[in-house]
Amino acid sequence: MRGPQDYGGLPAGAVDPVKHEHVPTHWEKTVDALMMLIFDQRRQLARVDESRRMQEMLGEDYHKYPYYERWLQAVAWLMLEKGVFTQEELEAKQTEVRGRLEAERSGN
Amino acid sequence: MSEHHHDHDHGHDHDGKPIQEDELPALEAQILETSVRELLIEKGVVSADDIRRAIEAMETRGESLGAKIVVRAWTDPAFKEKLLTSSDDALMEFGIDMRPMELCVVENTEDVHNMVVCTLCSCYPRPILGIPPAWYKRRDYRSRAVREPRAVLQEFGTELPDNRQVRVHDSNADLRYLVLPKRPEGTEGWTNDQLEALVTRDSMIGVSDVRSLDELVG
Repeated sequence: MRGPQDYGGLPAGAVDPVKHEHVPTHWEKTVDALMMLIFDQRRQLARVDESRRMQEMLGEDYHKYPYYERWLQAVAWLMLEKGVFTQEELEAKQTEVRGRLEAERSGN
Repeated sequence: MSEHHHDHDHGHDHDGKPIQEDELPALEAQILETSVRELLIEKGVVSADDIRRAIEAMETRGESLGAKIVVRAWTDPAFKEKLLTSSDDALMEFGIDMRPMELCVVENTEDVHNMVVCTLCSCYPRPILGIPPAWYKRRDYRSRAVREPRAVLQEFGTELPDNRQVRVHDSNADLRYLVLPKRPEGTEGWTNDQLEALVTRDSMIGVSDVRSLDELVG
């Protein structure tokens, strides 16, 4: 059975090497850096195939997520699975961060 | 003289906005990223400086690093042999550590053209080439590179003679590929700098050849 990530050999559109270039934003680079850091030789908190497994768990949502949002979700789930932080800690943090970012975005 | 040159009383911030800010990510994504990052810092898993350094490191990778390796292989047969057979040792000479991944270098010849894809995600020789291009991560390339590579190559403007075999290499988490492009005819006696200017990122992914000599002159 094909998972959502299993694109090899399926029909798809043309590749446009000019239009389909994109310089990663700083935010995307930050997510990239978080993933690379949890993989690195010093930490070895996760491996690439584990990250893929997490992304594939998105199921049909896999296609809806922008690339780095998929990575971010994988980092979060991996850290929960490895017990680096708990669901409660993450939720509490998200509540606090939401308040801060919403204020920032509305220009306060 | 411009109209607002002397107008210092119009009330806006004179530090100005010299930088066009990136478009913000979706709020939910920014909340999750900030939360994960801050928790990792609070838990002592990473520091803010580690993140800064990781971004800095990824920015030093790319075409020019890959080009140095390719040119060394073009000009030093013993190095080339090592690169093609035990790439770990060869890469160590450039301070590149692929571990825990393995790098397989595939050589383009008169008869064979190599091309790299990752159908399942976007595995790429990151320690050498940095972040993969957006098209490499997209469904179009991932789906079709293994089914109709010549058609995909044409979309990159790469026309190959029918008698040149195309080999497509599907990367995975543990095994990454780098194409060793063919050194163009007519470059005998060139300096390393001149040769490096020929080597492009796309030629090391195998979707194009190296720059033509005409392109360099222009």
